[in-house]
Amino acid sequence: MRRFFVAATACGLFACGALLTAQHTLGAKFDLKKPLTLTGTVTQIDWANPYVHILMKVPGQPVPALWAVEVDGPITLTDNGWSRDSLPLGETIRVEGFAARNGSNQISGGRVTIASSSKPVYVGVNGRPKPKPTATGPTPRWPDGHPRLGPPPGETGYWGLPTKHGLSEDGQNIQMDDYGLLKNIADASKVAPMQPWALALYRTRQADSLSHDPLFQSCKPPGGPRQFQQLVSGLQFVEQPDFKRVLVLLGMGNRNRRLIYTDARKQVGQLGGNDDNPLFYGQAVARWEGDTWVVDTKLFNEEFWFDNGGLPHTEQLHLVERFTRPNLGTLHYEATVDDPGAYTRPWKSSWDLKWVPGEETPYFLCQDDRP
Amino acid sequence: MKRTLLIGVGVALAMTMATVDIAGQAPAQGQGQAPAQGQGQRQGQAGARAGGGGRGGRAAGPPAAPTPRWPDGKPILGSVPGKGVDGWGAGVTTLPQGMLDQVPFQPWARAAYDIRQIDQFEPHTRCKASGASRQFSTPYGTEFVEVPDLKRMYILDNGGPNSFRIIYLDGRQFPATLEPSNYGYSIGRWDGDTLVVETRGLNEKFWLDTRGTPHTQQLKFTERFTRLDMETLEYQATIDDPGAYTRPWTTTKFQLRRRAGEEPFEYICQQYNQGPELMVGTQESIDNSKFYVP
Repeated sequence: MRRFFVAATACGLFACGALLTAQHTLGAKFDLKKPLTLTGTVTQIDWANPYVHILMKVPGQPVPALWAVEVDGPITLTDNGWSRDSLPLGETIRVEGFAARNGSNQISGGRVTIASSSKPVYVGVNGRPKPKPTATGPTPRWPDGHPRLGPPPGETGYWGLPTKHGLSEDGQNIQMDDYGLLKNIADASKVAPMQPWALALYRTRQADSLSHDPLFQSCKPPGGPRQFQQLVSGLQFVEQPDFKRVLVLLGMGNRNRRLIYTDARKQVGQLGGNDDNPLFYGQAVARWEGDTWVVDTKLFNEEFWFDNGGLPHTEQLHLVERFTRPNLGTLHYEATVDDPGAYTRPWKSSWDLKWVPGEETPYFLCQDDRP
Repeated sequence: MKRTLLIGVGVALAMTMATVDIAGQAPAQGQGQAPAQGQGQRQGQAGARAGGGGRGGRAAGPPAAPTPRWPDGKPILGSVPGKGVDGWGAGVTTLPQGMLDQVPFQPWARAAYDIRQIDQFEPHTRCKASGASRQFSTPYGTEFVEVPDLKRMYILDNGGPNSFRIIYLDGRQFPATLEPSNYGYSIGRWDGDTLVVETRGLNEKFWLDTRGTPHTQQLKFTERFTRLDMETLEYQATIDDPGAYTRPWTTTKFQLRRRAGEEPFEYICQQYNQGPELMVGTQESIDNSKFYVP
C-alpha cells in the first residue's frame, strides 16, 4: 500500500484525472485520500458509456469479492486503439487507483496492468491512435453570404475539442482541469464577479470535487454555455432557414436538442408565461450582426449547472452568445453572462471549438448508461 | 396560447388505449409521465382541444390536402418549407395490434409480453430514450426534420430525455460493427412514395411500444413511412428478431395524424417525470448517487 501511495502521488491528481475524460472529475466519485491496489481475475468487460468497467473477482475469505474497475470511456479508448477484446476474460490484472467515496466495491482504474507481464491495458495508447482529422479552409457560407454554422454543402462533421472547460472571466488566468475543477481553489474569487452567496456556493461545489453536479448525478441537461464545454463528444448545428430556426444537437450530456429561433419571436415561456415554466435551455432567439451570430436567451430554470465547474446562476440569467467562424476549422464562442441574481455585473467568457470533419458526434446518452 | 402541446397524458393515453383491444387484456395503466407542476391547469383545456383533433375527429372536416412534395417529387414527410413547423401525433399503440394470435413469439417473448401488460415498469418512464417504434407511441408526438442538404432526417420525439434520432438517406451501408444503442443506426431509402428505414444496432434498454413488445439485440427493424395525404402518415414495421420470434413478422398499418403548427417543446424527463412508483423506489428513496456495482 505504501508503495502504491508513492506511485499515486507521482501520477499526480490531475494527470490521473485527465485520463478519465467522460463525465465526472475523478474526485466526484472516488476518494482521492483512499488509494487502493487490487489484484483480481477479469470476469466481464462492460463496454458502455460514460465509462468502461472491468468487472473482476478479487480473492477473499470466506468468498471472493466482485469489484468494478472504472477506466476511460469507449469513445476515448477506441480513439486510443483499445477495444472490448483488448483484455481477455480470465486474465489476472493489477489495478492501482482510488476507492469509491460511497464505499461500494468500485475502484478507479488509474493504472491497470496484466499481472504476469506488467503490460498496461485500457490506459494510455495501444498501438496506433486514431488520427484526429483536421479542417482547414475558408469559412463556408450560405448563398446570402452568411457563414454556415454547420458543414460545407455535401459534407458532414461536428464541433468539439473546446479550448476551455469551465467558465471564467476573460482576462483572468485560471487553471482548471478538463471538468472545470480549479487547480487552486484560492482562485475561486477571480473566476467571475460573483455575489458573496454565489462565491460561497461555487467554493462548496469545487471543494466537493463537483460531485453534486446535476448532470453527473441525474442526467440533467447541460444548458447554457455548458453545452459548448463538452470534451469527448461535441455538437452539431442544423440551420433551417426555411423554418427560421437552428437546431443545436448535442453529442454529450443527455444528447439533447436545443432550438434557437430566428423569426424574431418574443421570448416567452413555452406555455405562454414568462415565469411559470423556466427551461433548461431557455428561450433563445438569434440574429446575424455582420458575420457574428448573436443568440439571446432568457427564461432559464435553476435545476442545472450552466458551467462544468459549478458557477451558479439564477432564473434572472440573461445569456448572450456570440458565434463567429473565422475559417472552416474554428468556431469562436463568447458568452456574456448577465445575471443580477448571482453576479455583481455582466461578464464575458470565450473560447474556441474545433471542426471535426467527416464524422458524426460520438454517441453518448447519459440516461442510457450509468452515472 | 395557441398550442396544444401538453395534452393531458391521461386524456391522450386514454384515447390511445381505448383503441387497443388485444384479446381481452386489461388496458395498461398510465405510464407515469406527467407534465411538470404548474402546467396542470392547462391540461384540461389542451386535452379538451386535443379531443377534436384526435382519432375520429377528421370525419366531419373537409378532405385532406394532397401529400406535399419536394421539387424532385418525393413526398415531404415532415414540415412544408416556409409553412411553419408541424408535428405528428402518436399512432402506434402496440405492434401486435389486431394480430396478437398471429405474432410468432418465442415462448419466453410471449411470457414477457404478457407480464408487461400487468407490470408497466417501462424504461421510457425512467427516461431511457425511446428507440424505433416506441417514438411513435408517446402522446406528445414527434417532429420529422428533413435536411436534404445533409441527406438525412432527424426525428425529434417529445416526452423522453429530449433527444433525437438520425436516419441517414445518403445511400451509405451499415458500419461493420455497431455498438448497441437506444436509437440504433438507421438507414433510409425510397421505395416509390414510401420511405423504407432499416435500423440495426439497437440495444435492449427500451420497449418497442408502450405495451412492451419484446425484442433482443439481434433485432433488424424495418419501418415503412408513407404520407397518404397532408394530414396522415402511415406507419408499418417489420420485426426480424431471431432472438425473440420464430420468424419475421409485419405489423398492421398504423396512422399518425398531423398536428399543424405544433413545434417541439422542451420536455426533460429527468425533471418532469412524476411517476415515482414506476421508478426505482419512491421519489424520496431514489438515490442517484448509487453507482452500478456488479
